Amino acid sequence: MRPHIRRTAGRRLRALAAMAVATTLLAASACGGDSGGGGSSAGGGGDVTLRFTWWGGDTRTKLTQQAIDAFQKDHPNIKIKGEFGEWSGYWDKLATKVAANDAPDIIQMDEKYLREYADRGALQDLKKSEGLDTGKFEDDTLKAGEFDGGLYGLNAGINSFAIVANPALFKAAGVAMPDDTTWTWDDYTRIAAELTTKLNGKAFGTGAPGTNEAALNLWARQHGESLWTQDGKVGVSPEQVTAFYQQVLKMRDAKAIPSAEAISQDMNAALDQSAMATGKLAMNWMWSNQLNAMSKAAGTELKLLRVPSVEGKASANGSYYKGSMFWSISSRSKHQKEAVEFVNFLANNTAAGNILLAERGVPPNTEIRSAVTPKLQPADAASAKFIQDIGKELGDPSPAPPVGGGQVEKIIQRYTTEVLFGRQTPDAAAKAFLDEVNGELK
Amino acid sequence: MSALGELGSLRGKKPVGQKKDNLAGYLFLAPWLLGLFLITIGPMVASLYLSFTDYNLIQAPKWIGLENFSRMLSDERLHNSLRVTFTYVFVSVPLQLTIALLLAVVLDRGVRGMAFYRSVFYLPSLLGSSVAIAILWRQVFGTTGLLNQVLDVIGIHGKGWISDPSTALGTLVVLNVWTFGSPMVIFLAGLRQIPTMYYEAASVDGAGVLRRFVSITLPLLTPIIFFNLVLQIIHAFQSFTQAFVVSGGSGGPSDSTMFFTLYLYDRGFGNFDMGYASAMAWFLLVIIGVFTAANFFASKYWVFYDD
Repeated sequence: MRPHIRRTAGRRLRALAAMAVATTLLAASACGGDSGGGGSSAGGGGDVTLRFTWWGGDTRTKLTQQAIDAFQKDHPNIKIKGEFGEWSGYWDKLATKVAANDAPDIIQMDEKYLREYADRGALQDLKKSEGLDTGKFEDDTLKAGEFDGGLYGLNAGINSFAIVANPALFKAAGVAMPDDTTWTWDDYTRIAAELTTKLNGKAFGTGAPGTNEAALNLWARQHGESLWTQDGKVGVSPEQVTAFYQQVLKMRDAKAIPSAEAISQDMNAALDQSAMATGKLAMNWMWSNQLNAMSKAAGTELKLLRVPSVEGKASANGSYYKGSMFWSISSRSKHQKEAVEFVNFLANNTAAGNILLAERGVPPNTEIRSAVTPKLQPADAASAKFIQDIGKELGDPSPAPPVGGGQVEKIIQRYTTEVLFGRQTPDAAAKAFLDEVNGELK
Repeated sequence: MSALGELGSLRGKKPVGQKKDNLAGYLFLAPWLLGLFLITIGPMVASLYLSFTDYNLIQAPKWIGLENFSRMLSDERLHNSLRVTFTYVFVSVPLQLTIALLLAVVLDRGVRGMAFYRSVFYLPSLLGSSVAIAILWRQVFGTTGLLNQVLDVIGIHGKGWISDPSTALGTLVVLNVWTFGSPMVIFLAGLRQIPTMYYEAASVDGAGVLRRFVSITLPLLTPIIFFNLVLQIIHAFQSFTQAFVVSGGSGGPSDSTMFFTLYLYDRGFGNFDMGYASAMAWFLLVIIGVFTAANFFASKYWVFYDD
């Protein structure tokens, strides 16, 4: 019922408004209380629980869980609790956990963030860890996780940036597979444009280079430069970034790549939902170890190709071996001994090797590699063979990103979007890109 | 307090009882008070301290004075994030409140099944800031999303709304406007407070629907409009979830949905720059404080309290 007379309503409302404002204001600056992570590190009865975090899709999670189960069977006193998620979001979560003094004991680490964490003392120097066996590792593969005299990440697999192709779409378009040992950027663009035309809207020729920094690095290496220098600085010139973006625009204008919107949408898509996995691209840029997961997601056998080069020579395409990922141990882990035991198992145990196969890249432990090679599934076998085949053509290893370099992926994505949408010219974007990357280095 | 005081006087031992009752009062307050100090005030004080430091989350914070604040002056991405946030606030809040008010007036006129409509319109407010809806939004406005499928039927070839920098922010504005339900319910309550005799008198004088709305409803509703305005502005300034989820955490494409809060998060957790992020949080508090104060100041001139 409506009141016919009201006296205090106005005053009350004013007080209510003031109160509501006060409480919401307070909440503004204290954003996000701690949800109180329950660190269940010390179980009862001498049992130890280790937390192990990794990024990756379905395939990896299943294999990793199997490896954990095998380890637990041999070590009934150690429990491994997996924490996993997609690449995007993984680093935010890890940073939050480390800041809250709640870091997982074993961390799957990427080259981009290795220095970031190690320099700040968040990672254990594995050289000082007792019982970690690296005897069967090739020197080069160990070096990838080594700096300032310490070993902060143990190589978990070798991969290389490559082009992945969908033979079914090539066939549907009636386009022959290119000879990847001799193809140039122009060949690559032409073939991709032809695919787009012949596939008639069903799919595009290729994804764009520049949705992460690896393609720019290859471009720089093909032009005698490199994204990072040995002493931790930016090594690519504005001219080459500009030229790289001009190449991207050339591909856009030839319709070799999809629309700017489609590319920007694909940048943060999970592997299983990406344009390559859903058959909307005939080719894309990808890390070689993802061949298996991507083939599974696409439901067809995909094929790896060498990246195109300026000169049309595979030995000049700038490719290099990269540690696809690393095993690191938190310096604050209370169970160093058990954590080392687990990393040892992942890296050196044949049973683990037989489960994990080459999903994280070709095993850097040579003994495991030869034991595993005959057992590889077709896609893993193909990526392992690819890694072996390009071995003779590789140039110098690529210097690891310096502290602050982890941001480069997000930055290049932003400027590639700017260029594709025509909001910035290649040279303006190149300059802004380099300014920003330089600004992030510490 | 007065109710407790009365209780005390009933027992007949006034001064001592008063003290005891105060204690009881504080005890009842304790859960909330503890929460306030541990979850709100504590972190606030900590973040105020951190805003004057260089803190990378892992090592101990280093005091650097006002450097974080002076850095904000030349940080172009921060300026861009302010532009994005202001656009969002000043487009979505007026739109949202207008729709809320109009629907409240229509519902108040005694539509049959009002309880049903009220619930239906309120529903988005409950869901609007959830992750699930943001994911749904991604799908609806995606390249092959629902919206484009509908547009296809009427012969318009749509685009990837959330992946085009010129329309991405628009989809977030639509999402916020869509949650008009909570201000609408408050408007409805306010409309019920307006004495019917004013309308009756106006009708006798021959005032039409529009005239009654402009001369009676609007002026008497100004306290409620003010309340909603203040609340929704603060709410919009603090939006985070929608932009974070819709852009996949990147604030993209091309920083077009990079809200201030999102950039704050990116600096703090993506870039290990928690000192700077804390300084940003305090800057946001000042911005919101200024807007709220301005709102209260301006309210003297347009809000009509009937007392």
